[in-house]
Amino acid sequence: MTLREALLRARRRPRRLGAGSPTIYRGDGYEFIELREYVPGDDVRRIDWAATARSGELQTRVILEDVALTLAAIVDESPSMRVGRRRPLLDAGREALESWFGAAIGEDRCIRVRAGEVTPPPLQRKGFRALARCENGAGFDLARSLRTARAALPRGAALLAVGDWYELDDSLDRDLADLGTRFDCTALIARDPWYDRLPLAGIVRMRGAEGGELRAYIGARERAAFRASVARRETQLLRRFERVNWRTGILREEDGAGSLAGAFGLHV
Amino acid sequence: MSIDHPLRLVLGVIAIGLFAVLYGALQRRRTSHDLAYSNVAFFAEAARPRRWIPRALQALWIAALAAVVLGVSGAHLTMPVPVRDGNVFICIDTSGSMASTDVFPTRAQAAKTAARAFIRESPAGTKIGIISFAGAAGVVEPLSADRQSVIAALDEVPLPDGATAIGDALKLAAQQLPNTGHRVVILITDGVNNAGADPMEMAQWLGAHHVPVYTVGIGTPNGGLIPGTNEEATIDEEALRGYADASGGAYARAENAAQLRDALARLGHVTAFARKPVDASFGFAFAGALAMLVAFLAGFGLGRYP
Repeated sequence: MTLREALLRARRRPRRLGAGSPTIYRGDGYEFIELREYVPGDDVRRIDWAATARSGELQTRVILEDVALTLAAIVDESPSMRVGRRRPLLDAGREALESWFGAAIGEDRCIRVRAGEVTPPPLQRKGFRALARCENGAGFDLARSLRTARAALPRGAALLAVGDWYELDDSLDRDLADLGTRFDCTALIARDPWYDRLPLAGIVRMRGAEGGELRAYIGARERAAFRASVARRETQLLRRFERVNWRTGILREEDGAGSLAGAFGLHV
Repeated sequence: MSIDHPLRLVLGVIAIGLFAVLYGALQRRRTSHDLAYSNVAFFAEAARPRRWIPRALQALWIAALAAVVLGVSGAHLTMPVPVRDGNVFICIDTSGSMASTDVFPTRAQAAKTAARAFIRESPAGTKIGIISFAGAAGVVEPLSADRQSVIAALDEVPLPDGATAIGDALKLAAQQLPNTGHRVVILITDGVNNAGADPMEMAQWLGAHHVPVYTVGIGTPNGGLIPGTNEEATIDEEALRGYADASGGAYARAENAAQLRDALARLGHVTAFARKPVDASFGFAFAGALAMLVAFLAGFGLGRYP
C-alpha cells in the first residue's frame, strides 16, 4: 500500500467528528478493498446485503474512493530543528516532506503552510521537491501556522505537521483539536538527537539553538535523568496529539521518509 | 592582617582581576567543544545538571590565586599563639562581703578553690602571682613559675574583712608585672570599689600597656548579708564590665562555686595563648599552590580543564 492509498483509506474511516468529506476534485473512480463488520457511522449504502445474509452480521464494503487530495504541510524551520547528531533534524523533516508531496498524483494539490501564507498558490502540483526544500525567510511561528492552516485549507485536506514541538504550549490544544476535526492530520515529532545517549561527561558547555547557554557538570545521574525526561516528553506529546484525533509518528534523524511511512504503518 | 609588600598585593589584585576577565572571555568564546542543543531550558529541566560544580571550581581558582598573592605580599596574621612565659596576677577580693555564704562554703573559699584549679591547669612556664585586697592591696605571692608554692600561698590569703580597694589591687599588679611579655590580670571580686585608687584609670592604663584585665564577679543575684553586719553584699557588674572593656579583657559572672571554676577554666586560654602577628606568607603560598593543584586535577578529573 502506498502513502496515497493510506490517505484515501483514511477518508473512508469513520471519524469521530465527521471529517473526510471528498474534495471537489474527483479522481478516477472506486476500487473495492475489503469487507468488514459494520461500524456505526458507515454509509448504509455501503452495506453488502449478500455478505450480511451469509454471516448474520451487518457487513460493510470498504471502497477506495479515488479523489483528488490536498496535501498540506507545516514544517518547523526554527533554529531548534537545525541541530542534530549527524545532520540537522530539519533535513530529515524535509525528506519526510518530499515523501509527503511525492505521494501526490493527478489533480492532487500540494501546499506548504506558513504563518499567514500558503505556498504555492492553489492548483500548482509540480515541483514538489522544490516546495519541500524552500526556505522561509521569516521566523517560524507555530501558532500562526496552525491558524493559517485552519483558515486556508479545504475541509478534508491531509495535513502533515513536522517539528520538535517545543513551541507547543497548552493554549494551542484547542487549535489542534479544531484541526483534528476538520482535516486528516498527522504529526511527526522530531526525536531528540541524543535521546538514547547523551555524549556529555564532566564540566561541559551547551549552547541553545534558539539562544541561551549552560555550563554545568554532567554525570551518570544527569544522563539518566535526561534520557528518562526525553522519553517521557515524547510519550506525552504522542498522547496529546492522539487525544485530539491526530495520527502520530516519530521523526528519526536518520530516515525522514521512513519516519513518515512509519506514521501510516507502511514499510518503505 | 598586615602586609609587608603592599605593592605586590596591588599588582596581585590586578592580576586576579585580569584572570577573572580572561576566564570570563574564554567562557563566552564559542568553541568546538560546545554542544549545540535544541532547547537549553528543556535540557536544564530534564537533566538537572549540577551548575554549582564549575562555579565552585572557578571560585577555587580565584581563591588559590588570592592565597598565592597574599603569600607573595608577605601577609602577617594576628592570631593566638601558644606562650610559655606568660605572667598572670590573680587579684582576690578579701573584703568583708567575701565571707558571705550565698556561694558555698563562702565566696572567699570558693574563689581560692577555683584559683587553685586554675593554677594547676595553667601551662608550664607561666609565672603566676597572687594579690589580695580589702581596704588595701598586698602581694601574697610574687610572680613565680613554681606552681606548688603559688598554690600553697593561697592558704596565706587573709580572711575576709574590710573595704574593697580594687584600684589599689590593679595598681599593685601593674607595679609587679614585667614591662614586656605576655601579661594578664585576673580580678575576682564581689563588691563595689569603695577605697583607694580609681580602678577605671588603672584599667585604662593597663589596657594602654597591653595588659588585659579579666574580671570575675562572684555572688548570687539576691546577694547575701555580710556576716556580722546588716549590710548587703552587691556586685557593681557595670563597673566590672567597664574595667574589662577598658583594658581589652572580658567579664564573667559566677553565681556558685561551679560557675566560678568554669569561668576561671575558660580564662585558661588567655594565659596559654597570646595574640601576636604571625608571618603567614608561607602558609598562604602553600595553601594557594595546593588549591591550584586541586583545582587543576579536579578540572581534569571532572572532564574538562576550565
